Amino acid sequence: MTPRTRRRLLVMLQHIAIVLFILVMMVPIIWIALAAFKRHVDVYQLKLLFTPVLDNFSRVFAEPYNLGEKLFNSTVVAAVTVLLAIPVATAAAYAFSRFRLRAQTFLLAIILATQFVPAVVIVLPFFVMYRDLGLLDTLTGLIIVNLAIVMPFAIWMIKGFIDGIPIDTEEAALVDGSSRLQVIRNIVLPMAAPGLVTAGIFCFIIAWNEFLFALILTSKDAVTLPVGLALFKAEEGDLWNLMAAAGIIIMVPMFVLALIIRRHFVQGMTMGAVR
Amino acid sequence: MRDRTLKYLLVAPAVLVVAATAVWPLFESLRLSTYAGRLSRPDFPQAFVGADQYTWAFFEEPAFWNSVWVTGVYTVVTVVLTTAFALAFALLLAPGGRFRSGVQSLLILPFAMSPALIGVSFRFMFNPEFGLFDAVLTGIIPGIGDINWLADPVWSFWVLVAADVWGWIPFLTLVLIGGLASIPRETQEAAQVDGASGWRVFKDVTVPQLLPVLAVVIILKAIFSLKTFDLVFMLTNGGPGNATQTLSHYVYFNGFKYAEFGYASAVAWLMVIPMLVLTYFYARFVFDRR
Repeated sequence: MTPRTRRRLLVMLQHIAIVLFILVMMVPIIWIALAAFKRHVDVYQLKLLFTPVLDNFSRVFAEPYNLGEKLFNSTVVAAVTVLLAIPVATAAAYAFSRFRLRAQTFLLAIILATQFVPAVVIVLPFFVMYRDLGLLDTLTGLIIVNLAIVMPFAIWMIKGFIDGIPIDTEEAALVDGSSRLQVIRNIVLPMAAPGLVTAGIFCFIIAWNEFLFALILTSKDAVTLPVGLALFKAEEGDLWNLMAAAGIIIMVPMFVLALIIRRHFVQGMTMGAVR
Repeated sequence: MRDRTLKYLLVAPAVLVVAATAVWPLFESLRLSTYAGRLSRPDFPQAFVGADQYTWAFFEEPAFWNSVWVTGVYTVVTVVLTTAFALAFALLLAPGGRFRSGVQSLLILPFAMSPALIGVSFRFMFNPEFGLFDAVLTGIIPGIGDINWLADPVWSFWVLVAADVWGWIPFLTLVLIGGLASIPRETQEAAQVDGASGWRVFKDVTVPQLLPVLAVVIILKAIFSLKTFDLVFMLTNGGPGNATQTLSHYVYFNGFKYAEFGYASAVAWLMVIPMLVLTYFYARFVFDRR
């Protein structure tokens, strides 16, 4: 074998390996997505060829499942969580980035650490408090606990973006007599805007997929989509085609959002430990 | 307004939110863990019992040790497997080429999927009658026979591991691709010119330079493995029996099925301790970067 054919063979093997890898990674998604378009009988056979139907989608939105309500709840909870978290996080991120604060490292470390507290530890006291305050099974209650998981991410991520903005223009504007708040509004916010959108989308995905809080703190009125999946575990067994249709409604919007911010995913998840 | 006051005003709301939503519950569950608390009774929380519920977990509850064991093995196995596969795929994809950008986009998808939904998907795939993985595996491996994956205490654990590793490989792969890209090519090329074999270059040049990134993803993955709940709840619900009951699931069961709130808080707090250790190491990496 000449070195050249050997090289070609290696490249080919490499491509085959990549294709196999991608196949394995995509199959669980594709298979559940296909099931959403199958009739009940087709789900129970390993058929690749089948007549696609849309019945499953109309059924999940109808009684008794009412997935529309859950879709509404998920959207409201994720959107309001993000709208509350991003401005608060931006203010803090700016201060952490541009000033020296007393106990700065301590505060940043605490914020980082809270991200890693198991959700089940957080939910226990909240359950007792909500029971006393009548906040169980409300969207308000869900939004408050979602802030706990979203805030640390948002602060660290936005701080990373602001750290990347050169400080010169800000200093020049301050010398020219602008106030600090004017500088933030006219210079920092426009330049950080793409970063804020990215952080917002990232937090939206986290809040949307959140499961444990919604499972424990809601029961009927405020149930979100991921918890709603359990509706399709019926007594006669799992209703796979309906579960798959609900699955599509949960995952496809997140796929779109994730693709928009794909370049920042790694940085967001590792809080800037890896760029 | 002077910057000196302004900077604290800017930080204050965020610090308050974090304090109220994450720090307060941490201390409140520590307090609750020292009370006998049956949630179903109106006089909750009942008598102060000190550390009794901790000693109860340690000395009277085999189920607690079972979930410690399950969580420990689960964490080690998922961390090792995810890292190994991700490293292999990152090396495969690192040279670039036509596929790279498309592949990277595809890899985002499993990661954007809700873990609860991954649990559903894997339960579907491993169904012994019409599951795709079940069919493929029984096809490839002769003599494996009819396995009812999720009804078997050993297999159900491995299905859980497979689902978790599947869900996390993409993220780790993306991180490691980034890590590999940041290694200067010259060092690897210099070693090659000096006559080192491909394996030697990987072992002695690439891996040492990749270590900081590897350490970060390993710690991060370990933290998420220790916390695992959504996937367990949807895929095996801790079963059969309590063969796949992780600590998070054990806390959930005691707190909300048996309404033993004080006890659940005590076990939850025992979970916090290893988490703090890992977080300490993680924070050191984050702060060293700056």
